[in-house]
Formats: sequence, C-alpha cells, structure tokens
Amino acid sequence: MRRNRTNFQAERTEINVSPLIDMVFILLIFFIVATSFIDEIGISSNYKDSSSIIKNENKPLFFTLPGSGEVLVDGYSVGLKGVASKVRNFSGLVPPSIVIQVSAGAKAGLATQVMDQALQAGAKAVKMAVISK
Amino acid sequence: MKVRRRLTLEEEDKDINVSPLIDVVFILLIFFIVSATFVTLPGIDVSRPQVQKAESLKKNSILFALSEKNQIFHAGKPVQLAEISPLIALANKENNKPVVIQVDKWADATLLAKVISESKKVASIVSLATLKER
Repeated sequence: MRRNRTNFQAERTEINVSPLIDMVFILLIFFIVATSFIDEIGISSNYKDSSSIIKNENKPLFFTLPGSGEVLVDGYSVGLKGVASKVRNFSGLVPPSIVIQVSAGAKAGLATQVMDQALQAGAKAVKMAVISK
Repeated sequence: MKVRRRLTLEEEDKDINVSPLIDVVFILLIFFIVSATFVTLPGIDVSRPQVQKAESLKKNSILFALSEKNQIFHAGKPVQLAEISPLIALANKENNKPVVIQVDKWADATLLAKVISESKKVASIVSLATLKER
C-alpha cells in the first residue's frame, strides 16, 4: 500500500507554471502601458524643397501674414474666408502652388488655417516663408 | 477501501487548467510587443489650431511641439532650432519616418516656418497636428 502511494506521487511531478504566468503577466502589463497609441490628425503640405519654386513655370500665389492678424494678397486684405476663392481663381486649370509669407508676430494658428483653406481649395503644395525685415 | 481512496485523490487533484489562459496571455503579449512603437511624446500640451480638412497622420512618427511661448519641445525637453535636424536624423536611421509638429495656435508663425524648413532638410513628410472643426 505504501509503495503504491510513492509511485503515484512520482508520476504526478509536473512543472510549476505559476512563475511563468506571473512573468508573462508582468511583461504584458508593461507592453500595454508602454504602447502609446497616438492618434493625431493634421495637414501636410507636400513641397519638395525651397529651390523647386523657382523652376516651376507657374508662378506661385503669395499670401502675406503680417503681425496684425490679417491675410493679405497683393497688399489687399482678404481675410481667412477669402483664401479659398483666391486659390480657385488664381490660375484656372492648374492647381497653384501657395507660398505663405509670415512676418514676426503672425500667429501659427492663422498660418495653419490659411494652409488648410488653400489645400481645401485644391492647392497643389503649400510652403511657408519668413519675411525678414 | 481501494476504490474510495482513489476517488478522494482524484477530487483533491482537480486544479483549474491554466494552459488556455497562458495561450491567450501569450497572444496578447505578442500583439502588444509587435504593436509597440515607442513614440516619444513631446511632453507638453498645446492648443491645436482648428481646421476643416484634416487627415489622420502616420502613427509611427517623430514628434515636435511648439509651445505658446515659442519654445520647441522634443521628448519632454526644450530644444533649440539647430538641434532639430540632428535629432530627426538620429531618430530615423534607415526608415524614413514622418515628422509631426504639434503647434500651438498662439505660437509665432515665423518660428513654425523655420521649424518646418529645418525638418524638411532631413524628413520627407512634415505634418502639422490639428483639431478637426465640428
């Protein structure tokens, strides 16, 4: 009878998996916490480089943003709402390239909104340039 | 005698079977390891400009932030304008990661233009993070 018992215990020897589960859980929680699912939305202007603007046969459309918060085209204030129509009327068939000239004091939010309006109106590419005075 | 003994032993031995649990946990673990991109956040909160046409940007990108006080942040630390292109070059060794700039709407536009042109030197895609207008 006694021998029978020892025999049974020897058969039942198994690997203890609880430390494995602990370790795997710790790794799992680490990766869950470390994974940052950033979900940004935004706009991207696709301009190649600064030299491509001169080679382009079509002249770009210039928007000027002075520090006062206006949007100027050829010296006239068009406002943010006028940007889209200016872009559409600029050069008929070909989608124009846009250059936004900003001077110190202009706000980045307004520049972004001008960029967005221009892209929405079908502008091919938008570039930002700084006017140095 | 023998029969009863056998029965009690079997009843004592009724553990929960953990193998399916381990399977599921391993699958979750592998999913999270694979999907982990380890994006380093800029570490400041900016009020993004609201625009109408916004598309979702690539998840695995290099982030810069431009604060209201015209400071550039990357990975929780303020950086200088000249440091941007080395930082981007360091972050993407071979794969061409896009650059996302989180710009505060009250930041100076000239600084934004400079940051974009600095990023464009080494990165092919430079995007601005925005909010979608409702």
